[in-house]
Amino acid sequence: MLQFLYQQGAASNLSLFPHILELGAKKNASIQLQSFPEQVVEGVCIYFINEGRFEWKITEQPHVLFPGDVVLILPGQKFGNEKGILDLGCITWMQVKFQKLESGELVPGKWSGLSDHESMAVGKLLTLNSNPVLSKLNDAGRILHSIAYEIHHHELGFVTRINQMIDELLITITRQLTKQNNPPRDFPKVFMNLEASLRKDLSHQWSVEEMAAIAGMGTTLFNERVKNFTGFTPINYLINIRISEAIKLLKKKDVSITDIALDTGFYSSQHFSTTFKKLTGYTPGEFRKNNSYHE
Amino acid sequence: MKCIITIELGTNAVRIFAFDLNGIVIGSMKGFYPTFHSQPDYSEQDPEQIFITMLYVLKNLLNEKIHPKKYKVASICFSSSMHSMLAVDKHGVPLSNAFTWADNRAKNEAKEIRGSALADAIYDSTGTPLHPMSPMLKIAWMKKNDAATFKQAGKFLSIKSYVIYQLTGEYLIDYSLACATGMLNIHKIAWEKQALDFAGITPDKLPQLVPVFASAGTLKKAYQNSLGLKEEIKILVGSSDGCMATLGAGIWNSNKATITIEDSSAVRVVGNKMLHDEKKRVFNYLITEDCFVSGGPSNSGGGIFEWFAKQFGDFTTAYDIESCMNNLLQEATKVATGSEGILFLPYLLGERAPIWNPDARAMYFGINIKHERQHFIRATIEGILYEIYSIGKMLNEHRNISSLSVNGSFATIPFCAQIISDMFNKPVDVTKNANSVSIGAFLLAATDMGIFKSLDEAASQIEVGERYSPAENNHKIYMKYFEIFESLTNKLGDEFEKIAALQ
Repeated sequence: MLQFLYQQGAASNLSLFPHILELGAKKNASIQLQSFPEQVVEGVCIYFINEGRFEWKITEQPHVLFPGDVVLILPGQKFGNEKGILDLGCITWMQVKFQKLESGELVPGKWSGLSDHESMAVGKLLTLNSNPVLSKLNDAGRILHSIAYEIHHHELGFVTRINQMIDELLITITRQLTKQNNPPRDFPKVFMNLEASLRKDLSHQWSVEEMAAIAGMGTTLFNERVKNFTGFTPINYLINIRISEAIKLLKKKDVSITDIALDTGFYSSQHFSTTFKKLTGYTPGEFRKNNSYHE
Repeated sequence: MKCIITIELGTNAVRIFAFDLNGIVIGSMKGFYPTFHSQPDYSEQDPEQIFITMLYVLKNLLNEKIHPKKYKVASICFSSSMHSMLAVDKHGVPLSNAFTWADNRAKNEAKEIRGSALADAIYDSTGTPLHPMSPMLKIAWMKKNDAATFKQAGKFLSIKSYVIYQLTGEYLIDYSLACATGMLNIHKIAWEKQALDFAGITPDKLPQLVPVFASAGTLKKAYQNSLGLKEEIKILVGSSDGCMATLGAGIWNSNKATITIEDSSAVRVVGNKMLHDEKKRVFNYLITEDCFVSGGPSNSGGGIFEWFAKQFGDFTTAYDIESCMNNLLQEATKVATGSEGILFLPYLLGERAPIWNPDARAMYFGINIKHERQHFIRATIEGILYEIYSIGKMLNEHRNISSLSVNGSFATIPFCAQIISDMFNKPVDVTKNANSVSIGAFLLAATDMGIFKSLDEAASQIEVGERYSPAENNHKIYMKYFEIFESLTNKLGDEFEKIAALQ
């Protein structure tokens, strides 16, 4: 395998790809001190293990890596070898800079061909992921090698093709991690994982695509499963959680109705008010008045 | 045309049915709500989400199935799962999540009282086994471990009481659900002072005791408007899911017992007096002044078989867990009665009746070199049903059970119904309807409206489905194995405790 290392700013190869911070391949035949110390990364790092056995520490957790494994490290996370050495073997990797939106969400950026919805979902799923190692993902290795081929050969259309392949790499990885994080055939468990994610970030404008992706399913199957299991469509189930949380806040006097609306994920206090009234017969203001007490 | 609506606040979901006055289902819908396990032994639900889910489902059902067809809702009847406990402040605002029946945090309080002289007196008076599920012990736990919340609490409610309070503003609990708190003196039909003293509360901290036929008050104006319901609709306080499943199965004042097996199970009989069990293993829930549902609940049931299917089922051909379980059942039928000598103790979740031991754990016993995978499948099913049989045996000490009726998703599987019949050596009728709880609540409301003269008459309306008859030979085989099953369970007390402590 060809060894190379391109870094943004240092290699002219990457001048057409400002979002690629680093692209490399290394066949390590000898152990060297301080060749692989723990470091904090700036972009989204994707490592693929071609050969060998590696011991890395990723966000303070030890991991042993084998051929076929993909390691996913997110911006701000620390990883490397505890003793600073790179084990014998062969790895390919890429570091991509993600864009941070005002709302705090990470998305791939303008170069990507993903739709806004898809970008948000990919960003969301990568950040929610708690297990950085994806096993048996040879597709990712294949894509990384094709990207390296394109960048070396500069054939017609290579810029477009490389960006498409990065999109494909992100999709492949995102799909794999939702599959890996969800026990197959145990929908109640899958649903409760999703439930917990929704509650943790209730102010987020969840789309069905994002929810389905967390559950590791296509939207059609996801809708059907959720409806079967809960009796509600995914969006209506979410409204259920939102109203329940809003009721708790309305019963406490110190939070304004506008804040409650936004904290529980409604677009506006108007949207909150209409939804709330439709279900309970009260506007949030009336409900609060009926449930507050002068002491 | 008039209709009756039943609302079942179940363990994982609210199920709402609409019936016409002949008992024909017009429509039904359900809404799931989650259970949170923030720590081992903790099992909680959000009372606001339960209320909102109930409201949402009720509204959808009315708008889609009732209002368009010009049905007039005559009454709404509630039922709910038992043993839930929710502390609210003096304005009725929840102070935390509700503790569900499966919450075991009060296990030390249970141990404490079981070893004391008070245990006999409280069982004599309440007719309810002393177990961490009991709200009496949950309140005692709160007093000791969460004193701030305990002090702030204005009332200790059941989930059903909270939902009714939201709708009408009244704090109520019916006799049968009050029994499940472990604090009702079933002879005097009043809160039992010794139980309240143990919990550390006075009667004003509990909702008002009312009969199952009592009106829960008038629906608040806002809900009348949002639901499109009239002020004069009668809201019945209703009963518990267990009691309603018994009524809905048509079991009332006879020598018949009903076996319900869903994820967990229960065996119940109905009679006009309390079954006084010396070992305090039998529950007695008061429905009306002279009518008791008595029996034993088990943690074992379809949930145990589902665990087996998830671990050892073959998913290469099965589409989902249901089809996987069906394949396993197919394989089990090929094995001889008694699984050629493998016994399974099904105590994955500890056990309630008849051994009332939360530390009990499961095991396979008797495995030899010739046993294959399918023997384990059948042994698992048989083990679950031996446990049901042992509850029936316990009840048989008090009441001569002559026949059985089974309901619930697991018990009504033909293979299981036949095994039950063989084990008990009694005929088994499979209940036709999958929704016994709702039917029971319908019968209660219909009796209240005067459609039936009494609950006895209402229960007699239930048609039974297919009947299974026992095979004498199989019964003999099962009884040989059951003897070992029972003695194993009894012998393992210390070992259960030790292994549970290590887990």
